[in-house]
Amino acid sequence: MPKLTIDNLQVTVAEGTNVLEAARALDIVIPHFCYHEALGAVGACRLCAMMFVDGPVKGLQMACMIKAQDGMVVSSTDPDAMDLRRHVIEWTMINHPHDCPVCDEGGECQLQEMTVAGGHGVRRYTGKKRTFSNQNLGPFVQQEMNRCITCYRCVRTYRDYCGGSDYGVFGSRNRVFYGRVQDGSLESPFSGNIIDVCPTGVLTSKPFRYKTRLWDLQEAPSVCPHCSLGCATVPGGRYRDVQRVRAGINRETNGFFICDRGRFGYDHVNHPQRPRQARVDGQPVMIDKAVMAARQRVAEMAREHGPNSVAFLGSSRASLEANALLRDLASTTGSTQLVFEAHHGRDRAARTLVARLGEHARSQEDIRQSDLIILFGADPLAEGPMLALAIRQAVRNGGRVVVIDPRPVELPCAATHLPLAPERLPVILTAFGRGDLNAFDAREREFFASLIEQLHSARRPIMVGGADLLGDKGVDALCSAAAELSTGARSVGVMTLLAGPNSFGGGLLAGDGPGFDTLLDAVHEGRVHALVCLESDPFREAMDPARAQAALGRLQLLVSIDATPSLAARRADIFLPARANAEMAGSYINNEGRLQAFLPVIDPGLPIRETGAGNHPPREFFQETPGSAPEADWWLLAQLLERSANLAEVRKTIAENDEVLAGLLSITTETTGLRLTARGVMPLSAEKPPLHAAAVGILTLLVTTAPVGSHWLAHLSSPLAATEPQPYVCLHPDHADALGLVAGDRARLTTHSGHCQVVIRLSAQMMNGLVLTPQLWDTALEGMRPGSLLDCRLEKETKA
Amino acid sequence: MTELLPQNQIDSFKARAAAIAHPHELIVDLLRAIQSHYGWVPDDGVLLTAVTLGILPVEVEELATFYDKIYRRAVGRRVIHVCDSICCWSTGAEMITEHLQKSLGINFGMTTADGAFTLLPSCCLGACGDAPAMMIGLTTYGKLTPQQIDEILLKERAAIAAAD
Amino acid sequence: MNAYPQVLFKNRRPGETVLLSEYEKAGGYQGLRTALKMSPEEVSTQVKNSGLRGRGGAGFPTGIKWSFFPVDQPGEKYLVCNGDEMEPGTYKDRQLLLADPHQLVEGMAIAAYALQTPVGYVFLRYAYEDCSLRVERAIEEAIDAGYLGKNILGSGFDVELHVHRSAGRYILGEETSLLNGLEGRRPVPRSKPPFPARSGLFGRPTNVNNVETLATVPHILTNGPVWFHTLALSPDGVGTKLFGLSGHLNRTECFELPLGITLREVVEDFGGGVRGGHKFKACLPGGASTPYLTAEHLDVMMDFDPLEVVNSRLGTAGVTVFDEHTCMVAVTRNLNHFFARESCGWCTPCRDGLATVSWLLDRIEFGQATMDDLAMLKDQVRNIKGRSFCALAEGAMGPVEALLRLFEDEIKDHIKRGGCPFAGK
Ligand SMILES: Cc1cc2nc3c(=O)[nH]c(=O)nc-3n(C[C@H](O)[C@H](O)[C@H](O)COP(=O)(O)O)c2cc1C
Ligand code: SF4
Ligand code: FES
Repeated sequence: MPKLTIDNLQVTVAEGTNVLEAARALDIVIPHFCYHEALGAVGACRLCAMMFVDGPVKGLQMACMIKAQDGMVVSSTDPDAMDLRRHVIEWTMINHPHDCPVCDEGGECQLQEMTVAGGHGVRRYTGKKRTFSNQNLGPFVQQEMNRCITCYRCVRTYRDYCGGSDYGVFGSRNRVFYGRVQDGSLESPFSGNIIDVCPTGVLTSKPFRYKTRLWDLQEAPSVCPHCSLGCATVPGGRYRDVQRVRAGINRETNGFFICDRGRFGYDHVNHPQRPRQARVDGQPVMIDKAVMAARQRVAEMAREHGPNSVAFLGSSRASLEANALLRDLASTTGSTQLVFEAHHGRDRAARTLVARLGEHARSQEDIRQSDLIILFGADPLAEGPMLALAIRQAVRNGGRVVVIDPRPVELPCAATHLPLAPERLPVILTAFGRGDLNAFDAREREFFASLIEQLHSARRPIMVGGADLLGDKGVDALCSAAAELSTGARSVGVMTLLAGPNSFGGGLLAGDGPGFDTLLDAVHEGRVHALVCLESDPFREAMDPARAQAALGRLQLLVSIDATPSLAARRADIFLPARANAEMAGSYINNEGRLQAFLPVIDPGLPIRETGAGNHPPREFFQETPGSAPEADWWLLAQLLERSANLAEVRKTIAENDEVLAGLLSITTETTGLRLTARGVMPLSAEKPPLHAAAVGILTLLVTTAPVGSHWLAHLSSPLAATEPQPYVCLHPDHADALGLVAGDRARLTTHSGHCQVVIRLSAQMMNGLVLTPQLWDTALEGMRPGSLLDCRLEKETKA
Repeated sequence: MTELLPQNQIDSFKARAAAIAHPHELIVDLLRAIQSHYGWVPDDGVLLTAVTLGILPVEVEELATFYDKIYRRAVGRRVIHVCDSICCWSTGAEMITEHLQKSLGINFGMTTADGAFTLLPSCCLGACGDAPAMMIGLTTYGKLTPQQIDEILLKERAAIAAAD
Repeated sequence: MNAYPQVLFKNRRPGETVLLSEYEKAGGYQGLRTALKMSPEEVSTQVKNSGLRGRGGAGFPTGIKWSFFPVDQPGEKYLVCNGDEMEPGTYKDRQLLLADPHQLVEGMAIAAYALQTPVGYVFLRYAYEDCSLRVERAIEEAIDAGYLGKNILGSGFDVELHVHRSAGRYILGEETSLLNGLEGRRPVPRSKPPFPARSGLFGRPTNVNNVETLATVPHILTNGPVWFHTLALSPDGVGTKLFGLSGHLNRTECFELPLGITLREVVEDFGGGVRGGHKFKACLPGGASTPYLTAEHLDVMMDFDPLEVVNSRLGTAGVTVFDEHTCMVAVTRNLNHFFARESCGWCTPCRDGLATVSWLLDRIEFGQATMDDLAMLKDQVRNIKGRSFCALAEGAMGPVEALLRLFEDEIKDHIKRGGCPFAGK
């Protein structure tokens, strides 16, 4: 560990740390543009000059390019170093327009900060400035090239880090241009990161354009609600609007970047149909009235029909605190009818994972450091996009990736792919774990034999699973295989993609209680009369929506707590409006068992852009902010429990009652979160298969998720709307050929639940013989449940 | 001259790209081949290069826009590069330029109305001993005088006419 | 007329290119035969003992560079010949390749053997199609004669050479940009370390040498390192050097002259004196990036070390002379426009700093400048020199610094008059 002196202060840093970082460890911030911790040093901007006074390196050097070494004596205040920094700023300002008053970067412009820090105050250059024409880069990123200072960060982020292929650097000298070969939408699902890394106003968020001066924006550290990875985000809001999200920094999870779904998925908070008003029997009421009504009616029902006539449904969208309180509410009521996930498969997979993961848990950072990653039925870009980016970093560091999946799993890096029928995944995992390859055909045997060999020579191997495709059996087999393949010297890691930000939390709380389908049976059979729904939509999320709707129609009491326009919210007898995650404090447990806290950014309220309808807001005076009724989900539950609704006390009570959740007492947003070590309980084994569908054809349809369109919250976000696909099915070209279909054809897809029109997509990576379709909200494919295998028919539509 | 590159050349580039570990090393060669056949490199030329070598269009464009002797805009049948670097400048390049501009009736960056010539300034052509110099196509002309220029232009025009 | 010993130009005849038969008759490929009888290390030692310094501008001792090369490392290794030659005032490599290209081919075969690099690239600039064709023909002839290809001259060693034609841009002369250029990446420089000898072309060990450097090697092998020492005139100098004369001289040709010859002799005897009977005012002694020499330096020896003593450099030995009617602000402005235009755009001091210097020189030349601009010019030079990513911007500052050192009065005169004192002369 080298020890060096910077500005007369001593510091010891890890081997390989550069001097710029060493200075930062002493809180000495050396101005820099091209250096970025995630991107590394390239020494292009020449801004981070420091004087190396004594030691193994001498003279004026770029601090980012020099590794700290023992005995270095470095000065950041040396006149020559300061003079160069001032000049570098002067040069970058030569062509920079003085359009700060109208620039969307104003308030977080690093060029502005560095200009002040660099000490360049008087403009000497009075010549002409270079000008560029801008490109239209699509719905997310706004380009204003005249502001460019040529730091190369965007292209290094987009191409090198994120693996994008349609953005580059053109031209030379002081006319370097960054953009696409031609106008058009950026294709990378991580494109928005160039907004964060651009130190000035060249690349800004298009949806956020002209909305708010950044010093007026309220921000707070948060956790992304759009998948189970739990990436750090920083949402920003103003005018009762969540207006943007930027990446937070969590070195264990996302690192420095986030995906576009996380970045542009914030708008569900502002959804025009979001129910913000408490209701009892269709009548708007004050929220405490509604809470009281719910409390009374649940109690009445339990009194009248017995405690088990009231069921409770939590969700992976709700905070850990709210789910834990829901469990308390069930037990106070005396009911054992408690489920945390309406989707049967996801519920069981999550519980199995929580029960089995143990010390095999791996983080995104572990993935980035891994040298062999094997994906079993996991499609990161759809199920947890940042995992794809973490995998790419592993590959950039020399790691290898193997994909075993019926789907054409796209990754921003090279990978080996073996298409395999989804129902075989658990079996294969078990055989793989035992090294027993007899059940495989020759090709597969060869593939898995070589894979086992690779695994044995890998130092930090990780097996990644996708809960939707693996199901509980697959997840179980995955964890067993990891345990079996681990040796004393080297443990095989596991990461499994779950459905929501708090799926793990739900799995932890669920214990060996019944699944939702069992509960539906009880409703159907008239044993359950009331359902309390916490941020879930059983009408549409259950494995068989038609059956769920029929059963739930028989309920005498439906209480819904929600922040979205769900069917449950609409149909509820009693509705309690909840806050969105950007509007409240709370916590989630991500897919690796990491408990992470988040803070509120704004209070709920009808966005001013809506109340004003594009005009000045109404000049009437109200006591209450319109639309401000929603309360945090845990607040509502604490009220239902007649407990203190103070978060610290809520957490304290939960932690005291359940030592597994003791971490709630200590979590803050300043840390990388807390990996829970406690295990959950395996779900009961004797539960019936989720689907009781009649056969309607000879083709097998696998339902999966799409990167955009399948995730409820993201689906409610208008900036993402343009990227949602039209209903489609994907086939292997040979399969399509046999069916007389070609790419782009319109076809009629028939399943037990009816038929719909889809477009044909082809992929040579697809498993031959299988038909693939994503579940897509508010389309004909809405009722499809991810992870299910159905009989189907597929016929070419003849033009009407 | 409507095709970007004859098919046999495309095929041969494809074969070479497939045979080597780093097909990118052929980008400049292929761009130059398209340019020498088609006259310049249009957007489709960038695309053709990418497709032929099995690489990304952006990787081609990053080079095509860097090198000043790859023309990404339409040029005349002959591109005249007049050296404006020190040796030529000190021996009358400005006068040579003026003469060229007057006799062609165009400024730098322009193409004559008949599409025959495009006039561009160039850095040192490596003909410093023969300054002032210019390069037409790939041929360097040195020790230029206005008279000589007139003769060269006549010759080039005749060659263009003969080629048509 | 040139009584000095001719090595590289001994076969040169105006307007002609030496073919293989003639080259062999004049003793060609003896150097390769000699080399193949030695061990690779012995060949490098010969070159080291000759004292040959790189002819590409930086003057690094060639033998020492070779001795750093990981000759024994298994796997691909490359030899690259730098024929970018785009520094204004430099045209010697072209003359060499037009006259007698087999010297390069032989030199590369020897270097390839010494360094155990079976694959070589000759990188040639866009404007040198004439050279490319000649080098290609020489390579074909050499293959047919068994000097290149598999098992050359029965030695068991293979050498293949490829010609790469570039598409413009001075920065490709910088060796790491050149490697990026060869690979088909954006030709911006790479950071050093790692040096090309460790990680060069396609990440493999690579040796880069100038055309003239490599072409000199066969003669050293044929005649021995001691002979090479006898060629120079300067006390510590070695060898001959190609000098390309240009600018305001009566004879602007390329001569092979001994290192250590005085500038006066170059200008007066070989350049035939300043043309039109004018007086010598200044010159670039070795290309556009070398600081000016003035009349007071006429007796300085044209060799690496003596030129450094007078704050200049031998560079590429392209001598560009200016007569007394030349405005040195205008000269510097022209040079700086070149460098600013050829900047690759990677680092800030070069990309935007050179443009700023150009703007200042424009202002001075056109009479819009004040003394503040002069002060600004000085602080620009101070902050560009030694601060850029590669040596391009460093080189660009050579003439500007010399302008400030030697011709500050001329700048002030521009400022005082509000215009160029040489205008209309
Ligand atoms: C901007 C710049 C341009 C250069 N141009 C050339 C060139 O055209 N030819 C050349 O041989 N070396 C050139 N060099 C020097 C090379 O980087 C390298 O030092 C040289 O090719 C090594 O060969 P040598 O040791 O035989 O001289 C240039 C260097 C810089 C910084
Ligand atoms: S000094 Fe900088 S911008 Fe100039 S050529 Fe070198 S790396 Fe490129
Ligand atoms: S941050 Fe060090 S050179 Fe840019």
